[in-house]
Order: sequence, then C-alpha cells, then structure tokens
Amino acid sequence: MSREPIRGFPGIAEYREMLEIRHLRSKNHFVIMILAVGALLTILYTSLAGYDPVYVLSLSIAFSALILLNLTCLAYGRENVLFNQLNKYVTTFGVFSVAVAMIFIFRSPSMLSLLFIAYAIAAFYQDRKVMLISNVSLLFTFLALMTNYRDFFTVENASAENDFGLFFFVIVFISLLTISQYIMIKQKGFFYNQIAISRETEFRNIEFMIDAGEKATGRTIDAAGYFAAVEAFAAALSAKIGVPDALGGTLAVLREIEAGEPCERIAARHPGQTPESLSRLADLLFTGRHKLRKVAIKIGRVRAVDVHRREIFSETQFKTFNHPSDTLEIKIIAFSIFYAALKRGSAGMRPLTEAEIYDAIVHTDYFYYNDPAVMRIYRENNAVFDAIARDAFAAEAER
Amino acid sequence: MIRFLRRVVNTDFLPMNEVRKIKVVLIMTFLLIVTAATIGFAFFFDYAAVVKIVVMAVFLLGVGLIYLLIRFNRIMAAIHVTIVYTIALTMFYTQGTDSFYAYLFFYISLSVIVFYQELYIFLGYGTVVAGYGVFYILKHAGNLLAPDDIPGSIYAYVVLLLMFYLIFLLQSLHNEKLYTDLNLEWVKLNQVIGSYQDFTLFHLEEIRKRDKGVPFYEDRAFRKAVDELSVFVCEQLREHGRDITNVLDLYIYIHERGLGKIIENEELSTATKKIANRLDKYLLNRRTDMVSILLNFFTRFRATEPYRPNRYEYHLGRLAPATDEQIVALAFVYRVLAVEPSAFDAWGQPDKIMSHEEICQLFAAPEMEEFLSDGQIAFFKENADLFRDHLGRKG
Repeated sequence: MSREPIRGFPGIAEYREMLEIRHLRSKNHFVIMILAVGALLTILYTSLAGYDPVYVLSLSIAFSALILLNLTCLAYGRENVLFNQLNKYVTTFGVFSVAVAMIFIFRSPSMLSLLFIAYAIAAFYQDRKVMLISNVSLLFTFLALMTNYRDFFTVENASAENDFGLFFFVIVFISLLTISQYIMIKQKGFFYNQIAISRETEFRNIEFMIDAGEKATGRTIDAAGYFAAVEAFAAALSAKIGVPDALGGTLAVLREIEAGEPCERIAARHPGQTPESLSRLADLLFTGRHKLRKVAIKIGRVRAVDVHRREIFSETQFKTFNHPSDTLEIKIIAFSIFYAALKRGSAGMRPLTEAEIYDAIVHTDYFYYNDPAVMRIYRENNAVFDAIARDAFAAEAER
Repeated sequence: MIRFLRRVVNTDFLPMNEVRKIKVVLIMTFLLIVTAATIGFAFFFDYAAVVKIVVMAVFLLGVGLIYLLIRFNRIMAAIHVTIVYTIALTMFYTQGTDSFYAYLFFYISLSVIVFYQELYIFLGYGTVVAGYGVFYILKHAGNLLAPDDIPGSIYAYVVLLLMFYLIFLLQSLHNEKLYTDLNLEWVKLNQVIGSYQDFTLFHLEEIRKRDKGVPFYEDRAFRKAVDELSVFVCEQLREHGRDITNVLDLYIYIHERGLGKIIENEELSTATKKIANRLDKYLLNRRTDMVSILLNFFTRFRATEPYRPNRYEYHLGRLAPATDEQIVALAFVYRVLAVEPSAFDAWGQPDKIMSHEEICQLFAAPEMEEFLSDGQIAFFKENADLFRDHLGRKG
C-alpha cells in the first residue's frame, strides 16, 4: 500500500500559497536592504582602492538594476502575484551573477566568500525552486572557478592538502546549506499547513455547530424578524441622515435572494444587479450556513480567545495521539479509541466506512497524529481493524 | 533509515519538537562525517601525536554523548553539544593548520548554528564564532593572502564573514517574528474552534439524550472494539499484549470517577496516577484532545459548499465593498449578536446573549481588525443608539 501525503482539503493549497506570498513581500524588503548595503560597500571599496571607473560603474549598475527590479516587482506584485515569484528567481540569478563578476574583477581568494553571501541572500526567500537555483549556481560556479581559474584562489602556502581540503569542505558546506535550507523550508511549511488546515477546520466546525444547534433545538433564524428589524433601523437611519430609503435597494435584493428567487428574475427587477453582484450579496445573508452568519458567530467568540505568551510554541497546542511523554500503551489506546469511535459514529456523526477512514488517516496529515509504529500496524492490517470493529458492533446489535 | 528519511521529507507535517530532533540527528550525522575526515586531515596538523589522538577520542566521545542525549530525548542539550562540538572542530582546524580551508569552518559553524533557527542560540554562539573568525583572520592574515592580493584583502575577509553572520542574524530575527505570528494565529484559531466545539458537543449531547443513545464510554460494543483493537496492536509490538487491558480499564474508570478522585485516592500508586493524568486528554465525556480530533475528523465527511477564494474571509469591508451593503451587513451582524446565544451562561447552558454594552465593548476591541474597517466601527459608534433601539433584543 503506497502512502502519498496530500493536503487534507481541496482548496487549502491556494490559501497556503496566499499566506506564503503575504510573507514573501516582507522578505523582499530585507533583500533590498542587504543589496543596498552590499552596493554601498562595493562602490566605496572600488572607489577607495582606485579601481578603473569602468569596474566601479559596471558594479554600480548591476546592483542598481537588482534593487530596481526588486522595487518594481514589489510594486507590481500587488496587482499580480506572479511578479513576486519572478522576483525571487531573477534576484537569485542576479546575486550569483554579481558575485561571479566581482570574483573576476578582484581575483582574490577573499572573494570566494561572495558565493556564500549570494547563497545567504537567496536563502531569505525559503523557497524550494530558489534553493535549487542557488545550489546549482553555487556548486557549478565553485567547480568552474576551481577547475579553470585556480589561480584566483592560490594563497601563499598552497599545497595539495590545501586544494583537497578546499574542495572537500566547500562540498561539505554546500551539502550542509542544502539540508539546512530544505528543513527550514519544510518547517515554515508546517505553520502554513496548520493555519490553512485550521481555517478550513474552523469553517467546517461553524457549519457543524449551526447544524447541530438547529437539529437539537429545532430552531432556525427568524429571517422575517431580522428583515423587519433591519428595515426599521434603515428607516431610522434615513430619517437621521436625511436621505430617503437609504438601504432600501440592498434590503429588497437581499429579501429576494433569501426567498430563493432565481437570479435572472432578481436581475431583471433590479437593473443595477448582475449575477456576480448577486452572488456577492448572497454572502450577506444571515440564515442557515450563509457567510454573514459565520462572520457574526466568529465575532461572538473572539472575546473568548485569551492567548498567553507561554501558550505560543507550546507542544500541547498540537493535538495529537503521539505525545512524546506518553507511553506506547497510551498511544495504542488513543488510536484504538479514535478508530472505534469513527466506526461507531454518534449523534450527528454517521459511522465511517473503512475506505473513508483509511484514506483520511493514511493520506492526510492525520497520519502524523499517531505513533509511526501504530500507523505501520494499521496500514498493514487495516482489514483486521475493520473486522474487529465490525464484529464488536455487530455482536452488540444482535443482542 | 528509510523511515527517518521519510520523516525528513514530511517535516512540514511534524511539530516543532520532532523537527528539532530531526535537525540534531542530521547535524550529528554531518559531524560524524566531518570527524571521520578529520582523522585523515589531522596527519597534516601541527599538533603533537598525543594531542591529536586525545582530541579525536574526545570528538568520538562527543558523538556518543550527542547520540545518548537524542536517545533520552534531551534535544535542547543535544543542540548545545552539537554546536560546542562544531566550534571545537573549528578551533582544532584553525589552530592546527595554516591551510585556507580551515577558514571555511567559520562559515560551516555559522551554518550549523543557524540551522537550528533559535534566535538566542544564534545570538550567543553565532556571535562567538563571528568574533573568533575576525580574530583569526586578523591574526593569521598570512594564511589567507594570495601572493599579489588586492589592497585591503584582509578587510574583505572580515567584512564578508560579518555580512554572512548579519544576513543569517536578520533571517533568524525575521523567522522568529514570522513563526511567532503564525503560531499566535494558529493558537487563536485553535481556541476559537474549541469554543465552537463546546457548543457542538452540548447540542450533540442533547440529541443523544433525546434519542436515548448511550455515551461512547458506556457502550459495551465500543468498549469491546477498543479492547480488542488495543490488544491486537499491542501484541504486534510487545510480547504481552494483554497487559494493555489494565490501562484500558483505568481509562474507563476515569470516566466513571473523574481524574480528581483518582489523583486523591491514596490506595492507587503514583505510576497509576501518572498514567491516569496522561489518559485524561483522551477522555470522551468533555471536550478533550480526543473529542476535538474526532469532531474535526468527522467534519471532513460533512457536505460543504465548494471552495471559493473568499472562503476564509470574515472582513465585512471586503465581503461587501459598497457602503450601503456594509451598513446592512453590520446591522445583521449586530442583530445576530444581540439575539442569538454566543456563550454558556452561569448554569452551563448555551444561552448567554450579548448586551448592547458588551457589543459596544467588543466592537471597540483590537480583535475587530479582522472583521470591521475603521469606517464601520466609527459608523457604529455614531449610530449606536439606532442599533440598540431597532436591532437589539426587545424586553
């Protein structure tokens, strides 16, 4: 049985990407700042050391081009997120190109570290493709320079041991940077994943709460009463501000959407409305599972949230059946209870089939909620689990 | 090995303590490789043979210590030992050879330190390494210079090393803030979800009682299923699988007696109380971790509308761009808050409704940034009496 972890819910990948882009912009500010400092130091050094003005000018232009590109992409990135993506890749290529250019201009072993600086700047983005570009650029540039321009890095006490050591430790260094970047990218992904999953979980839990409440109490929102109250409010507001029928149009459209009138008929009756605007207005309904009700429910719970500093990064926040402090027996019991509860179902929760359980446990983040050994047993014996649960529940049903 | 690599690949699903453990294991492997290489390089070092042997023995002991710390789950201690080990390696190389490659160890050390992504660790150890690096460059300038090097080459070494340090320091600062913000957002989300689940659980319990159903922990079939599943899994992993039923009995007993009474019971051993305490988070008679995970899991199988880009948008300003729509939306939200229960009352019933004053207070809270624009809040304040008189609860 193969196991491919997938994101639990359709759509959250898009939200996760949005989260990444939101934070990418702040990283860009840091990159611009570092590039500006680099440019200043380089121009200062080349000018003071009396380098040919052609070199000073060319390096100034290269740095300026990179900074301008970053600023432009930052500005256009508001309109189209692809500019932010493009910026990462072009800047990575750019910093390595400038580093190589400086190595060729200065021809000094001290400039070898410029490649590491370029890598560190690109590492700011914490992106997998950027990491790939950086690694290939660093490795290729280093090997090319060491093979063809060995004299750039010849120090006074050169020896065979020194050459081998340089090769060996640069390769070791690149490997370390690669692993480090990979894990850091993944670590950042953990938070984005958790937030994206929690957003979807929240959305579904609100719906679950609404449905359970309506089923338990048999009570639904009094739509007519709400509309009457808001119309009275609109009338009082109109009188106060001196504008006749201030909210009448919107309320009339909302009433018709609530009544389930077809879009075409509403659009025909209210010339300013289009299918898109009606779809947007439907979010302002407050009955059933509509958006505005969810907003009100969420606002109503916000005051209950009280996060203490020590709760941040606390492992107890991560709900799992794989707490390091728990014994294996407890982990086994936790998973067995979980599995049996899914099979049994309860009020408002139908019993799940083995295929549903297996798919959701093995192919989503739930897999990591459990001890790896317990998961191995389940993956290899899920049919046995199914048979045990079926036997237990069937025997009881026969009584 | 394969399992470890699989965990590395799936790091984005693992909590922080697990990731730390993976990082230490990776650094330990890296140090083991470098130490093995050092045995070869040590032949060229200027130390006396006995010093080389003693240092290599200490390094190997160091790897053993890191292994033991990982094995006994002392991850933070292991992190410190790996860093000290790396710095010691750096010193061994830089003091032992004039070769250029020794200089690379400053970059290697900084990379090891930054790998852990702990700001204070980077500030402490990273600064020491950068400081030692600058001292080394200035003191051993001859080892690093080319026969006809550029003017001020030594200062280029210093500046580049410090830049490398500062870039990673900036990155650590940025990541620290990013992770704290993301974590705070996540913790808040978890708490809000918990408050929905309190209501859901209350209603599900009402439905269960109305339908004359039995709770999970009183259901014999459920207990039998859990018992047999636990024994089955335990027998695959342990020699005496049946022993697990004792823990299971304790689990059921906590439901009947409550954790407090078990902890107070002087007849029970400390070990039993410890197990009971750990089992508490998996009880089924209130909103525990187990119940939360179950509810979240079940929501996956409930029908919901298809994904839209504004699915997780709760800001009225963005949901309703036109001013009149925003006012209508605000009016409806006020009405929901003023007439629908949103908390448990003093009798534990989900019937508490917010008063006008509480809503005013809520709308003035900084958390409203997520839901309302400044303009909407100002509009509410200006017309609060209209909201109260026409949209509030009557009587």
